[in-house]
Amino acid sequence: MHARPNDSPAAADNPPGRRWTDADGIHIDVRGLAPPGPLVAIVELIESIGGGTTPVIVHHERDPVLLHGELAERGWTVERIDGLPGEVRLKLERAR
Amino acid sequence: MRLAAGAFIAGAGSRLLPVSIPFRFFGAAVAFHLLAWIALFAGGDEAPRFAGGLGWPLAALHLFTLGVLVMTAIGASLQLLPVATRRQVGSEHWPAAIWWFYTPGVAMTAFGMGVGATSVLAAGAAAVIVALAAYAVLLARNLAGAKGMPIIVAHGWAALASLFVVIATALALAGTYAGTPTIDRTTAIALHATFAAYGFMGMLAFGLSYILVPMFALAAVPDPRQGWASFALAVLALVLAAAAALDFAPALLRTAAVAAGLAAVALHLRLMTIALKTGMRRHLGRSFALVRVGWGFLVASLVLAPAVAIDASFDRVATLFGFALIGGWLLTFLLGILQRIVPFLASMHAGQVGTRGRGLPPTPSALTAERPLAIHFACHLAALALLAIAIAADSALAVRAAAAAGAAGALAFGAFFATVLRRMRRPKPPAGAGTMPAS
Repeated sequence: MHARPNDSPAAADNPPGRRWTDADGIHIDVRGLAPPGPLVAIVELIESIGGGTTPVIVHHERDPVLLHGELAERGWTVERIDGLPGEVRLKLERAR
Repeated sequence: MRLAAGAFIAGAGSRLLPVSIPFRFFGAAVAFHLLAWIALFAGGDEAPRFAGGLGWPLAALHLFTLGVLVMTAIGASLQLLPVATRRQVGSEHWPAAIWWFYTPGVAMTAFGMGVGATSVLAAGAAAVIVALAAYAVLLARNLAGAKGMPIIVAHGWAALASLFVVIATALALAGTYAGTPTIDRTTAIALHATFAAYGFMGMLAFGLSYILVPMFALAAVPDPRQGWASFALAVLALVLAAAAALDFAPALLRTAAVAAGLAAVALHLRLMTIALKTGMRRHLGRSFALVRVGWGFLVASLVLAPAVAIDASFDRVATLFGFALIGGWLLTFLLGILQRIVPFLASMHAGQVGTRGRGLPPTPSALTAERPLAIHFACHLAALALLAIAIAADSALAVRAAAAAGAAGALAFGAFFATVLRRMRRPKPPAGAGTMPAS
């Protein structure tokens, strides 16, 4: 994983599926991936976190309609947060 | 703005329709599934040698095809294609209006076929054709504005083109029953069966599988080059089959069509098998056992196809082919997929309910109903086995036993669907994080 400022323009240049860690959590950029690529990449990431409580920040280009059932199964919540123009940015957290 | 998973998917900017739209199509399919087995029971005497003509076997066939297969395909494609095309369906009124034309139209068509009432059949067929034409417009608009997943879009266009052939030949066959034939009946039946099953349903099933199978298996997107090769071979097979049906070098082109079809299926199944073997979720339970059985029957149908064409010595080979194609492949495959899609969509919808201070929404595994699905699984496979025996042994008794088993399975599937609806409307607290259901 790579340390990278998540609000910098460089965040928009990440190759699909790229991950990095920042103060607010683990980031994953799934822009450009065809369905169900984003779903698989995000589930793989939250599975790798295991029982941890680290939030996941998802950089997406659309509402991830295929993701929600999988997040619900794993007890994760999703929050839409501010992102770059044209970006759908989500904060995923394990439900308390 | 913290939402339970799934909460904002049906918002104003969503590509998805409200869940009531696909679920009304799925609900009608569940009801027609039961009616189809009942109609087959009623036509038990003629069914083992059925090769066309008015009566309850024809009604049962169309309750399965129009009532279950196409009904589900419309609901699923309106919900899932926008995910691939990144374009909304548009107005919610169109899909609702399609359902209101299509559902009574299918019921009237089947009833008219069953009792031999051609005026009822014609009125029902007219409603079905209007509904399918409207669906074709919605599908074309969505595909024309597609922004992603070209391989799925291509399969959608092939399905749409096939739908036009299906509608045209349906009109020709209806004209034959009404005493005003336009094209040769044998040609019309060959085109109608090929383009309805392999063309419209087959192309939609293959195309949507490129999303659904990796999604359920949590696998990478299948290799697009092999997917395109499979698509090209499938289109070639359809074109060759059409030419053969129109009497252009029929023996040669029919053989070439089957060869191209088998190659297309082999490539497609290879990609699906890779997804299932490499995905994060290896155990997909009964639902994918049905999917695998369906794939087996798809291959069997293509193996049987040449025997139908050369008028093989076994005089019920056409009936066996139809059984493998409709009951074995499409119905079995679709019921396997449907039992996964329904709780999945229900969970996403219930996520909206979950935003009102109820915490997490119910999960797909909390919404599904395992026991009815287990009963359905056993009954459906028993019905298939008994139908194969019935055709081989020319036994009306075995047809009725198959229909009884199928009807019991359909009732169980209906109980599953009703349970999901009930749980979706009154979400219970989730049992805890876990994996997807075992079916």
